[in-house]
Amino acid sequence: MRPTAAAILLSGLAVTALVATRLWAVGVLAALLLAVCLRAGRRAKPYLWGTLWSAGFVFILWPLFQSRGYHVLWSGPTIPVLGPLDVTTEELRGAALNALRLAAVGLAFAAYALLLDHDRLLAAATARHSVLAAALATRLVPTFERDARGLVEALRGRGIAPEGLRGHAALLSPLVAGSLERGFSLAEAMEARGFGRSGRTRVPAAPWQPRDQAAVVVAVAVVVVGVLWL
Amino acid sequence: MALARVDRLTFAYPESPPALLEVSLEVERGEVVLLLGASGSGKSTLVRALAGLVPWFHGGRFEGRVEVAGRDTRSTRPTELAGTVATVFQDPEDQVILGRVDSEVAFALENVGALPETILPRVHRALAAVGIAGFSDRSVTEISGGELQRVCLASALALEPELLLLDEPTSQLDPAGAEAFFELALGGEAGVVISEQRPANALRYADRVLFLEQGRVLLDARRDDAVEWLAEHRPAWVEQQPGFNQIAVVGEVACSVENVSFAYERPVLENVSLELRRGEVVALTGPNGSGKTTLAKLVAGLLEPQTGRVVRAGTAAMLLQDPGRYLVRERADEEVALGSDLPRARKMLAAVGLAGSEARHPRDLSTGERERLALATVLVADPDVLVLDEPTRGVDPERRQELAALLRAHAAERATLVVTNDRAFAHAVADREVAIAPEREPVLA
Repeated sequence: MRPTAAAILLSGLAVTALVATRLWAVGVLAALLLAVCLRAGRRAKPYLWGTLWSAGFVFILWPLFQSRGYHVLWSGPTIPVLGPLDVTTEELRGAALNALRLAAVGLAFAAYALLLDHDRLLAAATARHSVLAAALATRLVPTFERDARGLVEALRGRGIAPEGLRGHAALLSPLVAGSLERGFSLAEAMEARGFGRSGRTRVPAAPWQPRDQAAVVVAVAVVVVGVLWL
Repeated sequence: MALARVDRLTFAYPESPPALLEVSLEVERGEVVLLLGASGSGKSTLVRALAGLVPWFHGGRFEGRVEVAGRDTRSTRPTELAGTVATVFQDPEDQVILGRVDSEVAFALENVGALPETILPRVHRALAAVGIAGFSDRSVTEISGGELQRVCLASALALEPELLLLDEPTSQLDPAGAEAFFELALGGEAGVVISEQRPANALRYADRVLFLEQGRVLLDARRDDAVEWLAEHRPAWVEQQPGFNQIAVVGEVACSVENVSFAYERPVLENVSLELRRGEVVALTGPNGSGKTTLAKLVAGLLEPQTGRVVRAGTAAMLLQDPGRYLVRERADEEVALGSDLPRARKMLAAVGLAGSEARHPRDLSTGERERLALATVLVADPDVLVLDEPTRGVDPERRQELAALLRAHAAERATLVVTNDRAFAHAVADREVAIAPEREPVLA
């Protein structure tokens, strides 16, 4: 499938997850996107962990900051400013819905980052500079992660093991400095290869296939169904 | 008319002393010019001046004139020169922009406005020319460093440039890979300027040699004359391979690797054994992708074997490839003191030739100085087993000799394992060589 069509489909699923109010529908969307992400294999792990943690936080914190519903499951103390820390069935449902919404959006982004060919997406884009910046930023995450691993390994090679939050936080400054150096080299390489010159051309794009068109139709249909019935 | 002409070029980076002084040079079509010189002698700056990146990208004070294909680089931006000139830099990871191999090779062609219907055929031709025809739809993150360097060369060759600039392009390749690279790069009709720290291969292909020292051209001669001059005045640059050192005494076993196997997503090492004794320096050699670094990490304890065992008598320390990237403190002495204390750190800085640089920021040091600083950071821990992974990458021959002498001076105190593809360095520093032969086809051999 063309990356543009896939990106539209993923966006459609994410938007539907945000507008849908039925718990089962959002759950199905999240499960579908999870299945898509799992196709990336081990590379999906950090994205899945990030999504799981974010959604988990929302699920835990949501009922504590809400005061609605009559079916109390647990009564806690009353906290100044926050009010009574009761957990109701309605609040739990709201927590689950919003956690699943966040998970669906996170998984849609993960699928975009892991499975789409960003180069072809870039080739199809009209705002090439902006999309190239986005593509480079997307690649920055694994590069940053690899640099961090290298830094920790280099320190271990010297018999030094960074420990705790403070130990790891101290690595942030050299990591950023390293990224800046890399960015400078990359900018130089881009200039040497004619980036920014007028009269740019493109590799001719392959024609849209029926399944690409189907993906766009499905994306629009899912959003419409989500707004009207889900 | 010369393809490129440098006329009395003097250039200084902002707030720095001159990197080039009164440099003049002419490159003819089809000519291969080899630039030699110590780290910081101005080779890379001269390459960048020919690409127009100096002064456009770097800024600084520029006097004199550089013309490429009749265009003055003071009035022509590097982006406008792209296509006429193509550059391959030292580190492939710092020049790859896009995610897929074919997109990466097409990137420059699109930028220079190549006819759309010609782009993909030129991409495929360039990939085939560098021997990676089947890599079109591979991700750049899934291929080895040697393969990535080929992609960079393909990106340059696809432009069909008149002037090809290569800035230490083989520093990450094994000897066979480096030779293959030169055969691919230098087989065309373009004028070529190569900057190199390991001149043996490049000397075979060069028509002319320039030797730079402190920004000045010390020698500009035909190859045969240059080889004679180097042998007489800069013998370290004419690589010789004497026999390995004959050590008189080796001590007890410091590290024993017994029937070790290790796999990432596919097997890298299978049933490998190795013994390192106190007092000896062992060179670990083998083609790119043969598992040298993995074995080195197992010896140093950075990886645990999946089968077999590694037994160490005492502590181990390891200097990773490209250690200059992994410096964490803001003063050189504090960087070294991370593994020890300040007085000892300063002593070690002096031992590696960095006395007087204690207060400097590690990232302000030159590449060669960073390498020595990094070496000090592992030597200061006084390990029983010292492992160095490609310590001569980007280091000029004279500094390599100094490094070999430094390691030899401390050899008796420990067992030393040096992972290297630098044959001359291996012979200069090691008592014996252990070669890893890959089960599969080497990446660039």
